[in-house]
Amino acid sequence: MNSTSDDELLARLDRVLERVDPVPADLLDRVRFAIDLEYLDVEVARWERHSELAGVRSSAEPGSVTFTVDDLTVMVSFLRTPRGYRIDGWLAPPGPHAVEVRIDGHGSNTTTADSNGRFALPEVPRGVTQILVHLAENGRSARTVVTPTLVL
Amino acid sequence: MREMSLSTTDDPPWEGLDGPARHAVCLDAARNGNRDALHVLVDELTPLVWHVVRGQGVERPAAEDVVQTVWLALLRNLDRLDQPRALAAWLITTARREAVRVRSAERSPTSPLPTEVLDQVPTTDGQPEAEALRGDRDRRLWSAFRRLPPRCQELLRLTVVAGRARYQAVAEALGMPRGSIGPTRGRCLETLRALLGAEGGTR
Repeated sequence: MNSTSDDELLARLDRVLERVDPVPADLLDRVRFAIDLEYLDVEVARWERHSELAGVRSSAEPGSVTFTVDDLTVMVSFLRTPRGYRIDGWLAPPGPHAVEVRIDGHGSNTTTADSNGRFALPEVPRGVTQILVHLAENGRSARTVVTPTLVL
Repeated sequence: MREMSLSTTDDPPWEGLDGPARHAVCLDAARNGNRDALHVLVDELTPLVWHVVRGQGVERPAAEDVVQTVWLALLRNLDRLDQPRALAAWLITTARREAVRVRSAERSPTSPLPTEVLDQVPTTDGQPEAEALRGDRDRRLWSAFRRLPPRCQELLRLTVVAGRARYQAVAEALGMPRGSIGPTRGRCLETLRALLGAEGGTR
C-alpha cells in the first residue's frame, strides 16, 4: 500500500489547483450577466486576435477589438471620455443592423449602423460591457450576435 | 425565440438534489425559462468549465472569455441537449473545442508556469514553519504534476474538479471507454507518485 492513498493525493491536488489556478472572483458575475439575455437564440462572436486585448480591464488603455462570427465582423474602438467611453464601430459586411451595448447595472444603449456599417455611441458608462448586433433582414431582426463581456 | 421569464418559485424543484440529478432538473427548468435554474448551473459548473479550458493551456484572461463563450453557446443549445444528464459532458466537450480553437490562434502556445503564482501565495500567520513546509510540499506536488503527460494532467484535473459523480461525463468527453477512467487515473497517480519520489521528497 502506498504511503499516500489515491484519495489523499487527489485531495492535495485539489487544494493546490485551488491555490495556483483559482476561478477569477468576478467570473461568475460576468457569466451571469453575459447570459441574462432576453432571447436565447444567439450566436456567439469570438475575439479575432485574442492575445492583444483579451479580458480588457479598467486599467487597460482603450483600444480596438474585433469580434467575428461566421459571416460578420464587428470592429469596435473605445475612447475614454470624462464620464465613460465613446464607442465607434464598424460592421462588415455593412447593413442597417441595430447595435446594442449592455452595461451591467446601466441597462443598454442602442443605435443603428449606417449604410457603410458604421455606428457610434458618444457616451457609454464604464463597467462590464457586452455588445449585441441584431441583424436585420427585410426590415426585421432575424438573428442576434453577442460577444463575451469586456470590463471597461 | 423564447423569452425568459422571472421565476417566482419559493421552493425550487432542484432543492435537496445534488450532482447530475440536480443539474438535470435545473436544465429542464432553464429550458422553460427559469433564470434562477440557469444561474445555479452557472455557479456550480463554471469551475469545471474553467479547469477544462485552463487544462488546455489557455491563459487566464483568454480563458475568462472562453468560459463565457461556452455558456452563451449553451443558450441556443438548451433544447438540443437530448439528455439533461449529459450537460456536464456537453460543457466539457464544448469547452475543450473552444480552448483548442483559441490556443491554436494564439501566437505563444504554452502558458507560463504557474509555479511563480505559487511563489506569490502569501504565508498566513500562525505557525510559520509548518506553513513553509506545507508550501514546499505543495510546490513539489505542483511541479511533479506539471511533468505528467498532458493527458494525465487533464484527466486528474477534471476528476478532481468534477468529482466522482461525474466520472462518466469526463470519460465521455475525453473519448475514453466507460470503465477505463478508473484504471487510467490510477496509472496517472502512480506516475505522479514516482515523480514525487524521484524528487527525493516524502510522499
